Amino acid sequence: MEMIVRTKQFFMGIGDLTYFAARFFKQLVRPPFEVKELLRQCYQVGNRSLLLVVTTGFIIGLVLTLQTRPTLIEFGAVSWMPNMVGISIVREIGPVITALICSGRVASGFGAELGSMRVTEQIDAMEVSGTNPFKFLVVTRILATTLMLPLLVIFGDLIALYGSSLVEYFKGNVAFKLYFNKVFEALSYGDLVPATMKSFVFGFVIGLTGCYKGYKTERGTAGVGIAANTAVVMASLLLFMVDFVAVFISDIFYEL
Amino acid sequence: MSKTSLQNLKLGIFVVLGTLLLLIASYLIGNGQNIFAKNVTLHAVFKNVNGLQIGNNVRFSGVNIGTVDKLEMSNDTSITVYMVIGEKMRKHIKKDAIATIGSDGLVGSMLVNIVPGKGGMGSVNDGDELKSYSRISTQDMLNTLNVTNENAALLTSNLLKVTQSMMEGKGVVGRLLTDTIMGQDFHRMVSDLQQGSQRANATLTELQGLVQRMNMDKSVAGTLLSDTLTAMKMRTSIENLETSSMAVKEMAQHLEQIIDSIKTGDGLFQRVTRDTTMSRLLMETMENIEQGTRKFDENMEALKHSFLTRGYFRKMERESGDDRGKKQP
Repeated sequence: MEMIVRTKQFFMGIGDLTYFAARFFKQLVRPPFEVKELLRQCYQVGNRSLLLVVTTGFIIGLVLTLQTRPTLIEFGAVSWMPNMVGISIVREIGPVITALICSGRVASGFGAELGSMRVTEQIDAMEVSGTNPFKFLVVTRILATTLMLPLLVIFGDLIALYGSSLVEYFKGNVAFKLYFNKVFEALSYGDLVPATMKSFVFGFVIGLTGCYKGYKTERGTAGVGIAANTAVVMASLLLFMVDFVAVFISDIFYEL
Repeated sequence: MSKTSLQNLKLGIFVVLGTLLLLIASYLIGNGQNIFAKNVTLHAVFKNVNGLQIGNNVRFSGVNIGTVDKLEMSNDTSITVYMVIGEKMRKHIKKDAIATIGSDGLVGSMLVNIVPGKGGMGSVNDGDELKSYSRISTQDMLNTLNVTNENAALLTSNLLKVTQSMMEGKGVVGRLLTDTIMGQDFHRMVSDLQQGSQRANATLTELQGLVQRMNMDKSVAGTLLSDTLTAMKMRTSIENLETSSMAVKEMAQHLEQIIDSIKTGDGLFQRVTRDTTMSRLLMETMENIEQGTRKFDENMEALKHSFLTRGYFRKMERESGDDRGKKQP
């Protein structure tokens, strides 16, 4: 009996989330546009996350290269390091790591922020005062994450490749120019375009879950904590699901 | 207000930088695939492309100059490979260049190698076809190997028969293998042969030295060997010699006949050579003749001094002296 209730709740949650997403798209194309708030959110999401993303990316690139070096040396294929690291970072590791970091920082932030606004009835007050709270709070935030995440991914990729090239430079005496030449020789649009598309969706997912959980917060102050927590968990989980689907879709257009 | 404008500035920098990076990355990737540069398209027809794919590199003398653009199955035995090549490289590829399918290292991906021709031809133009050379595929190699294997099997069975008969001591080779005395003889023979060959070797080296000296100096032999004119002369003289030797031979035959006839015949010569009494008689006759002449000489001398004939001899002497005086005054 409990099982059925849970399954029912699960599907209700998914349905609710889908309605929320549909509402976002409906409000997105309808004026007025809250440009100023959008820019503020972009700054919050983009610039403020940059240091975090760059640090993570650098370490990931460094560690990935250090860890794979012995294996590649064993195969005598250490000269393929730039190709391997370049492709894995641009295709998968860059977008996923950046999105996970951002979901931790941004989705929880949105959940807590909107949750506390809901609990303190600021959203209701906004509605009474004639501002569309969904448009002002939700649309701007989701749009901001959707637009900012690909840029963060690009920065993250670059820094990760830089970290990898540092290892190659100091351990394998590979010049930076040669390293990046090889990386760009290995890469094709089939690597870059799906990854960029994917990061747009990742951004959308992070914004959507964060805002959804915050917007639908219930049960007082305790609910704020729950909203922040579930926002991060749900966003991370959804990210991987989206990633899975994205690989299949990009496989149709580009032969991987 | 100033806070928001500062934020906007930072956001603007962030966005512009990110977009720029994305553009640079896509440009660099596209550069590798010759999307932005001016290109020419060449094609070559292969029988087998060994798993070549669209986007594989095209190399000219080992330099990456383009990528495979399209693979088209013309019919069941020919595949047309279209290659996109940078305009800058066009002038270096001559019309007699040959395209082959190769692979990038042992485990690398396939690629098209363009090998320069012998030169002296003009550069290729857009849409030209290159001559192709299909490498022998593994399957062909295996087919050939199969035939070789069958032959080898036949050969080994024959060899087995031969060795068996050898072991049993049939035939000369079998005897050689089984007979120890013969083996020893053989051994001695070989050692003799070795000595002989060593000597021959020494002689040859001496001869070589001689020939070299002959070649070097202008001695008769040297000239004979090197001068073609002299050789011609030599040939004619040899021919002459031949004819003369023929004549000599003929003469010798005649002589032989004469001698034969002398031997068998009954003429004077035969008497002279054969009959010893005759020769003695002849000798006595000769001696008598000699005595006769001496006496005749004495008679003549006496005649000179007799008064009857003295005048005649004096006259003769005077005439001969006059002749001398006229000639030498």
